Amino acid sequence: MTIAFLFIALFGLLLIGVPIAVSLGLASALTIMLFSNDSLASIALKFFETMEHYTLLAIPFFILSSAFLSTGGVARRLIRFATALVGHMHGGLAMASVLACMFFAAVSGSSPATVVAIGSIVIAGMVKAGYTKEFAAGVICNSGTLGILIPPSIVMVVYAAATDSSVGRLFMAGVIPGLIAGLMLMIGIYVAARYLKLPRQPRAAFGEIWESLKDAIWGLMLIVVIMGGIYGGIFTPTEAAAVAAVYAFAVSLFVYRDMGPLKTRAADPDVPFIGRFAKGCVESILYLPAGMVHEDTRKVLLDAGKMTIMLLFIIGNAMLFAHVLTTERIPHAITETIISAGFEPWMFLIIVNIILLIAGNFMEPSAILLIMAPILFPIAVKLGIDPIHLGIIMVVNMEIGLITPPVGLNLFVTSGITGMSILQVVKAAFPWLMILLVFLVLVTYVPTISTFLPDLVFGKAIS
Amino acid sequence: MSGDSRLGRVVNTIEEGLIALLFAAMTLVTFSQVVARYVFNSGAVWALELTTYLFAWMVLIGISYGVKVNAHLGVDAFVRLFDSRKQRIFALVAVAAGLAYAGILFTGSWEYVGKLYKIGIEAEDIEIPRWIPMSALPIGLSLLFFRFAQAGWMIVTGRKSGLLIGDEAQDTIRQHLEQMRQENEAGKVDSASNNSSDSDGGAPPR
Repeated sequence: MTIAFLFIALFGLLLIGVPIAVSLGLASALTIMLFSNDSLASIALKFFETMEHYTLLAIPFFILSSAFLSTGGVARRLIRFATALVGHMHGGLAMASVLACMFFAAVSGSSPATVVAIGSIVIAGMVKAGYTKEFAAGVICNSGTLGILIPPSIVMVVYAAATDSSVGRLFMAGVIPGLIAGLMLMIGIYVAARYLKLPRQPRAAFGEIWESLKDAIWGLMLIVVIMGGIYGGIFTPTEAAAVAAVYAFAVSLFVYRDMGPLKTRAADPDVPFIGRFAKGCVESILYLPAGMVHEDTRKVLLDAGKMTIMLLFIIGNAMLFAHVLTTERIPHAITETIISAGFEPWMFLIIVNIILLIAGNFMEPSAILLIMAPILFPIAVKLGIDPIHLGIIMVVNMEIGLITPPVGLNLFVTSGITGMSILQVVKAAFPWLMILLVFLVLVTYVPTISTFLPDLVFGKAIS
Repeated sequence: MSGDSRLGRVVNTIEEGLIALLFAAMTLVTFSQVVARYVFNSGAVWALELTTYLFAWMVLIGISYGVKVNAHLGVDAFVRLFDSRKQRIFALVAVAAGLAYAGILFTGSWEYVGKLYKIGIEAEDIEIPRWIPMSALPIGLSLLFFRFAQAGWMIVTGRKSGLLIGDEAQDTIRQHLEQMRQENEAGKVDSASNNSSDSDGGAPPR
């Protein structure tokens, strides 16, 4: 009864256009008021505690570093490097876009950010090179979802917080699946390109590869900062995120100088490297105060702030919702049912995928994870499924959720940057969505893909 | 938008400035802790708590700002099936839900913070009473209530169509793109003069 009320209230509110966060929060609050003895004060406290959760604190920092990277011209340099590497193949520019998305995903934790950063540059470029707009939009919309699979990933942070798993392990687990998904998309493009006779770029000289790598290296170094920092035990994931944000700030303002007070003062390439480096260091220190209060910096902070607020508002209320579920012992009841029904792990995983794919259509990934993870996690543990493996399955489902209507953030964003309608984007994304579905099956039934690397690095999990 | 009037602009500047400031502060506090640990081999116990409070204030103050600028995510597929008159009614119901939400949580947080104030518990590591940082809750929620009420009024008078990210969001992205395009063009001029990298990622490498 209670639970029926909770879910009916939630879906009713969502349907009439109440913001997701408010729907979650109001449904939970009403349920508590009507059916439980908890005080309203405890609801308020629960909501506040979300912001005190140490793991979740990584989210604002990852959002901030993504914001600096996407406005700071890092995306442009990653694209140039990717194009130099694979541009000469059939459908090269499209493959380069996927590769650039993978690079960007490896320095940023958000999928829509990846679409905006890479898509707003490459889609125009692909159209100019003779691709159709639909092809370009479809490719970007899909490969942008790699943002949450290739570490760092905001969605993985949320899963870790919801299940008390290790963020480091999850990040490591995303590496191989991320590479495979990218590769599958590229193979798909290659086949389509052969069939559609899509253009190829002239092969880049080795010099261009080297030059573009040198130019992009400051951005790519962020991978080393984040992953190296976490696995070297130098800092916690949350600290790594904060360091990444500061690093991204410094690179955008003082190295690439696409924004901020030094924007008009690019380094003179005729001066030898040491001279440029020394001058850059001095300038960075001189202009640091100006850079921190510069209009561009403030704008990035505000944009990232808005994104963080929107997300945390949803997460805080999803926490309330999950709290109601737990106090009603719903996860417990479902686990009992599933176990006593004698489900095999593979059957359970099919159900998991179906539920998540449906939920992904209507909700924001973080909210789904916070609601579903406490339910699915204990069952998975009982059935002997590795929690990290379950995490990756959930993340891949969320990726697909991002490109399926009506609530698919990537669809909104792609439609925004191309001027296409949501429906056109959905159609454009569809063929590539099939590749991701095949990939989902692969990830679901070959657990080694997810668990191999974390087991190798951290040793087998004790279960 | 409410930012048209002079007062509206001032409030807007304060809100946006506060969000940026709190965000910058929490990032710098966390970053400085890493530096302190490795370079100076020390650290402050209160830093983490300070960060979480800055974070909480940013989010709680920002939620109402998010309502003002339509930054909150929702499902509009069903509502879009109706004509604009009915859509407006749905929007008003949604506003009512928002008001109820803000009202309920405000009551709860008022109770809680009131109790904290009476008992006088201190925060964990910072030597201030805990009700001070926690008062972000009632403040933020009352602002949220106000912004929902304002949005409701604007929907009634026809100056706003709904609460969700919609056309507004796409406008922002377009603005962002326009800006990037200009920057790219500026970048091209730069690169022509100093022979640095090609700024248009779409162009074939040379």
